[in-house]
Amino acid sequence: MGALLSEISWGVVLILLPLAGGIACFLFPRAAKVLGLVSVFAVLLSVSGLGWNIKVNGIYRHAIGGWNAPLGIDLYADGLSLLMLAATALVGFGISVYSADYFEREDAARFWPIWLLLLAALNALFLSADVFNLYVTLELMGLAAVALAALAGGRDALGGAMRYLLASLLGSLAYLFGVALLYHGFGSMDIAMLAVRVEASPAVWAALGLMSVGLLLKTALFPLHFWLPPAHASAPAPVSALLSALVVKGSFYILLRLWLEIFGPLGGGVDTLFGLLGTGAILWGSLQALRQTRLKLLVAYSTVAQIGYFFISFPLAASAGVTAWSAAAYLVLSHALAKAAMFLATGNVLRFGGHDRIADLDRVVQRLPLTACAFALAGVSIMGLPPSGGFVGKWLLLQAALTQDRWDLVSVIILGGVLAAGYVFKVIGHAFTLADISHESREVPAKMEWAALLLAFGAILLGFLASPVLSLVGIGVPFGVSEVSP
Amino acid sequence: MEALTLLHWTFDILLGLGLLWLGWRVLTSPDLFNAIVLFVAFGLLMALAWVRLDAPDIALAEAAIGAGLTGALLLAAFAKLRTVEKNHDIAGQLEKGKLENRSFQWWPATFLLVVAAGLGHTVLSLPHYATGLSAEVSANLKSSGVSNPVTAVLLNFRGYDTLLEMVVLLLALLGVWSISGSALPREAAPGPILDTLSRLLTPVLILVAAYLLWVGAHAPGGAFQAGAVLGAAGVLLLLSGWRLSSHLAGLPLRIILVAGPVAFVAMAVFTMLTGGQFLEYPRAEAGTLILFLETAATLSIGTTLAALFLGERPKNKREYP
Amino acid sequence: MSAAFLFALVGVGLFSLGLYALIVHAHLLRKILAINVMGSGVFLVLVALAKRTGESQPDAVPHALVITGIVVAVSATALALTLMLKLTAETGRAELPEDQGK
Repeated sequence: MGALLSEISWGVVLILLPLAGGIACFLFPRAAKVLGLVSVFAVLLSVSGLGWNIKVNGIYRHAIGGWNAPLGIDLYADGLSLLMLAATALVGFGISVYSADYFEREDAARFWPIWLLLLAALNALFLSADVFNLYVTLELMGLAAVALAALAGGRDALGGAMRYLLASLLGSLAYLFGVALLYHGFGSMDIAMLAVRVEASPAVWAALGLMSVGLLLKTALFPLHFWLPPAHASAPAPVSALLSALVVKGSFYILLRLWLEIFGPLGGGVDTLFGLLGTGAILWGSLQALRQTRLKLLVAYSTVAQIGYFFISFPLAASAGVTAWSAAAYLVLSHALAKAAMFLATGNVLRFGGHDRIADLDRVVQRLPLTACAFALAGVSIMGLPPSGGFVGKWLLLQAALTQDRWDLVSVIILGGVLAAGYVFKVIGHAFTLADISHESREVPAKMEWAALLLAFGAILLGFLASPVLSLVGIGVPFGVSEVSP
Repeated sequence: MEALTLLHWTFDILLGLGLLWLGWRVLTSPDLFNAIVLFVAFGLLMALAWVRLDAPDIALAEAAIGAGLTGALLLAAFAKLRTVEKNHDIAGQLEKGKLENRSFQWWPATFLLVVAAGLGHTVLSLPHYATGLSAEVSANLKSSGVSNPVTAVLLNFRGYDTLLEMVVLLLALLGVWSISGSALPREAAPGPILDTLSRLLTPVLILVAAYLLWVGAHAPGGAFQAGAVLGAAGVLLLLSGWRLSSHLAGLPLRIILVAGPVAFVAMAVFTMLTGGQFLEYPRAEAGTLILFLETAATLSIGTTLAALFLGERPKNKREYP
Repeated sequence: MSAAFLFALVGVGLFSLGLYALIVHAHLLRKILAINVMGSGVFLVLVALAKRTGESQPDAVPHALVITGIVVAVSATALALTLMLKLTAETGRAELPEDQGK
């Protein structure tokens, strides 16, 4: 069994499997739901295969075509890639179970092939070691995400998708310009080779600027977040969950990887700027979330705020590298679970009452107890209360800030948590109270309630799994060696 | 000799200025239709620049895809936009497009001038002599199965990019079909000129596509250029009113659309089952396998591009009521 | 200065022109044209700088990358045009709705 597991190149399987699944869904639309569910489940198993592989053999590297970089493209996976792949597979599976009941007939035939190709794009992105190949996966991810965001049709969804597409294309082009400068400056597109060859020069600074702006635009870091709320709030619930939980993490992962390997060691104060923008995101996103009267927009603005936390790690990493980056990784993982759960719960509320006006939630707690529970548990992780994945992430972040006497960042981290508590309790409060308008209700399938609840439960469970998860992430030393261990 | 160099320089400088001027005209032309026509001209001038840069493969791809098919897509969209706006009875929508760009905006312009200056400085700071990966490419060209280095990179050294790129095309079509819904059945009959033209040109274009596909192994050409020409034949047929009969519009059409990606996935599985790496062709068979991949890719690219031009999903009553 | 740098500078110019147009124009078809011109600019930089090989053949790798890029660009353009048409059918205007996300 062990021999078989290590003989198969699971990284390649992770790319080809959803690709083949997506093509099969396209060819046989009537069977799309079954084919899709089977493919996503198989992806989940393959991630375990890759995890086993990495745990036994260390870093995974596969020279495509047998050429080796720089001529060929390499696949590469360490603990950080594994974490992203696992988060994608887990959250993706939860959302798939939900989608199986959410989309019917023709809508299912539209949703499944695009979602599986998006899954293939995400897996390919997390496994790539080549900056141009990453550009292709970015475009693949962007086009799939836009097509899904437009699925609902109508003015809001189409407008949101259009804005999203333009922002995404602009981001990709800026990134590609950076690739051109890196290649022509240093003669390779392989990240590891660039890491060795790069030295401070105009080409590197320009590449850093272009790639950062492009990827920040795609990650929707304040003030480049303008496209996110309309796109995420007007998509069907499972799509909002995919976009908020997984797609923005794709571009963030590339930025993090480039920073860790290529740009970070050069210094230059960009990390301070990232920290400032992150602070802006936390404050602005949280305040906007508090102001919203519609649940979906509130959850979307909460994403804008939570993205800010990922960027607080950059200024802290200079002297507390491993702690700060572990915090970011943990926050990315728990946000993926919690935010997916929140959007799915919102989708249940929408289906149940036909609207998502917060003021008219009308005793959702009694009528959809599982959904309300899912929202509350996810809220615990978003606020950063113990025990939850969000708590562990923010605790690590606080630790990194305290060891450096960065009281400004400490207060931002805490203030963000308080504001998050404000908008989460605003929703929960209305969920208990009787609304003025009573309305007809539609039944919500049990699977849709359970999918939301289990994802939220996962975010809580992460609060107890800090040491195994962090030791897994540490495989291959993606964050470098640091002075203090977490 | 010196006169020749001078001539080259004059030509290059004029070409560069021409590109900038046309690009500016495309983006500021008061009339949208003019802007699109200028964009096609811009694409053709780009093709000329590719030739000057010793990149004939790109010149072919640019002329066929960048100028040709993108131009066709833009013109078709422009025509539909007019109809849509007429239906909405908002007069002067297109006129508004005329007016807005008269005003020059200082802040963005200043900002972009700074960006351009910075990027220009960066570009000039790069080493004046660099070979990139050309030594690696020529050292391994013999074992790649083809002798055109661009084809070797696209289909062998970086074949994985091409696999993903086939998926990008498929995904774009899935998105377009998902957004725009199903097509109405046949439209009005074409005029006699277009009808005759398409009858005459289609077989020629298919022959050209086959030639480009074949020649790509050792000379400029290959799957993308061939696919684009095939796509152009499809566009011409569609313009002349031809539609795929409804029993072919379902599964048979979809099979052709995915032939390229499926061939790549099959090749990936085959290479790994026979003990190689992902997409590592056996050296002796590399040329044949690449031709097989390219043939499937050409069919898919051509069909997908034509389908993107049509925009809506061809109707198939049995599957989508 | 050589042809490589001349055309690379033209590429920078096209990228900047496109970005300017993308920012200032409201009409979606113009924004789509702007993205395409920007793309041509980046492609030109990629390929022009591959010609810094002196007398020998230029580096073929960027040529292949740009062919990939051209196909990606036409795919994205097709999707963008379809979205634009549907949006215009909904709102009557080929522009982004302004009151979203507030």
